[in-house]
Amino acid sequence: MSVADDLAYGAEKAAVAIAAPKAAVVGRVSLAVHVVLWAAVLAFCLVPLLLVLIISFGHKVEGAGWEWALTLENYKRFFVGANWPAESTSLYLGQLYWSMRYAVSAALLAIVTALPFTYLMTRQSRRAQAVWLVFLLATVSLSEVFSVMGWDIILSNNSGLPMLFAASGLTDWLKETGWFDVLRDWGLANPRNVKFKPSEVATVLTLSYLVWPYAVILLYPALSRLDPSLAEAARTMGAGPWTVARTVILPSVRLPLIGTTLLLFVFLLGAYVAITVFADPSQHTTAVSVYEHVRGSTLNAPFGAAQSVILLVTATAFLLLGQWLTRKAARPS
Amino acid sequence: MCALALKDIRKTYGDARAVDDVSINFPQGELTALLGPSGCGKTTLLRMIAGLEVPTAGTINLGGRDITRLPAHRRKFGMVFQSFALFPHLTVRENVGYALTIAGTPKAEVVARANKLLDLVQLKGFGDRQIGQLSGGQRQRVAIARALAQEPEVFLLDEPMSALDAKLREEMQVELRLLQQRLGITTIVVTHDQREAMTMADRIVVMAKGRVEQAGSPQEIYQWPATGFVAGFIGRANFMDGLAENGKIRVGDVALALPKPANFVNGASVQLACRPEAIRLDAAESVNRVQGTITFVRDLGPVRDLHLDTPIGKLVAEQGADQGRNHRLGDTVYLTLPPEALRIYPRVPAELQTGMDAK
Repeated sequence: MSVADDLAYGAEKAAVAIAAPKAAVVGRVSLAVHVVLWAAVLAFCLVPLLLVLIISFGHKVEGAGWEWALTLENYKRFFVGANWPAESTSLYLGQLYWSMRYAVSAALLAIVTALPFTYLMTRQSRRAQAVWLVFLLATVSLSEVFSVMGWDIILSNNSGLPMLFAASGLTDWLKETGWFDVLRDWGLANPRNVKFKPSEVATVLTLSYLVWPYAVILLYPALSRLDPSLAEAARTMGAGPWTVARTVILPSVRLPLIGTTLLLFVFLLGAYVAITVFADPSQHTTAVSVYEHVRGSTLNAPFGAAQSVILLVTATAFLLLGQWLTRKAARPS
Repeated sequence: MCALALKDIRKTYGDARAVDDVSINFPQGELTALLGPSGCGKTTLLRMIAGLEVPTAGTINLGGRDITRLPAHRRKFGMVFQSFALFPHLTVRENVGYALTIAGTPKAEVVARANKLLDLVQLKGFGDRQIGQLSGGQRQRVAIARALAQEPEVFLLDEPMSALDAKLREEMQVELRLLQQRLGITTIVVTHDQREAMTMADRIVVMAKGRVEQAGSPQEIYQWPATGFVAGFIGRANFMDGLAENGKIRVGDVALALPKPANFVNGASVQLACRPEAIRLDAAESVNRVQGTITFVRDLGPVRDLHLDTPIGKLVAEQGADQGRNHRLGDTVYLTLPPEALRIYPRVPAELQTGMDAK
């Protein structure tokens, strides 16, 4: 069952629970509850979304705000540039590419590290598991700004790890062994010392840190339900630890694994703070561009809205792809 | 010949001793049942044999080789788990061929061998099914076939019947026993069901509180239980507390005779056990004869249980349905406890018993 199915099932159950009571009065009450629920969904979800969609077809008035219109100029600007066909630019497509590249790398990094951690966690005592889960939920409640600030300090060139590298002589050692040049090639060093800001490594690291607790919490139910005797059975048949992981544990949790990766990916498409702090401006993402156009110097709300719609469509496309993959994986081979 | 030998095996979790100084020899080609109530350490013992747990002390010897610390995947003892532990992401054939596949056996060979094994457990033609499409009994057969695929030296089964319904369980017990005899493979079955152990085993090892209470053939254990615990756990028994008195045992006001004078000093506290089916009603003998009132009749079809109030305590007597006259509730009857059917055990006072457990 996919996450979306799960949610639908939950909603259905909730609806049944609300509708279940018997008398006509209760029936009327449940109708009222339905009306209120749907009104809330409309007011808080659908209307803002529709507004963004409508504004994305609006027209920007130079030196002023924007006016209602039905123009495709914002979409044209995104895909080929405003002055097409005279000249074309792939600036905004490039930003979408970076959005996806960061989101994919960070989601994969988080999953790859969270999976073994969560597996080992589920083999602990109930008490230890509870402590870990509470701790992880607590870190989730930290704001993105706060976490990014922490990483900013750790990775900053003057007071963080690079300073530690220089002071401890690690930088000199790297220069002697030739690794320093390799790091320079990777954009992780300036002529004098290692540097992490700006860099893709720091961006992906921070992004994956942000979603890591979600990865653990999303993988936890599936892994804790995994019957330990499956792994033990494999061991009695000659499977070493790696073979057990590859042939038993991974295939058993492939559905939640796909689902979790997709959720993290979609969540990361909208990341903003970490990108502005750690990514090189030439590698900024669509989310950053949306903010700059809506709130920043240009005040071009229609173009910002168009970019939002494109980001949303991208996310939806990936969720549908995930659904398809999940169904394919669930189907008996 | 002895295939597998456990010597002084102990397993402790903190202060608790799950398995306490157990030494058992498992003869080649025989089926041994580890029998005991839940929590007696039988599953822990089996897991140590499989290599899934490491003993705190003691050695495990396989054909002269010390394998105490050999990890499970190097032992390759086929094991059937209580939950069967079939891989839901693989088909029946892939499950059965798992051990061979990960060992790098060519695919055609794996398929051929898996098919042969499925044939052996009467699941011909089920190879392409998903595990979810199988019934409980079929799953168990797959689990057995899968455990046998690597031709293990020792075949281990942990409560293999507990997930099956009563009728299927009896059928599978017979079937598993026939399969084991055909293959001649050294087998260890963990069970808490004495009927299951009696049906399948060449030898039964009765365990309680981490220790071996008795090991022997099913009939030995049933006829000559070594301890009061075994007498109570295997089959049913009437227990009576008494005192040794001039070679007889005094229970209440009645002195019960034994086949030969009891080897206890006068006044020693003892426990007598007598199987319900050994008690005879309205028999001619006058030895060990007491009067009793029927307080309850439990008619089970082939046999009837009579619950009796007697001067030596409450007793249960099992009668064949066609045996004697039709006893009714409230009737007064004379019952005889044949001396040769009485088993006598030293009675350990409760406070001493707990002292021994903690040791």
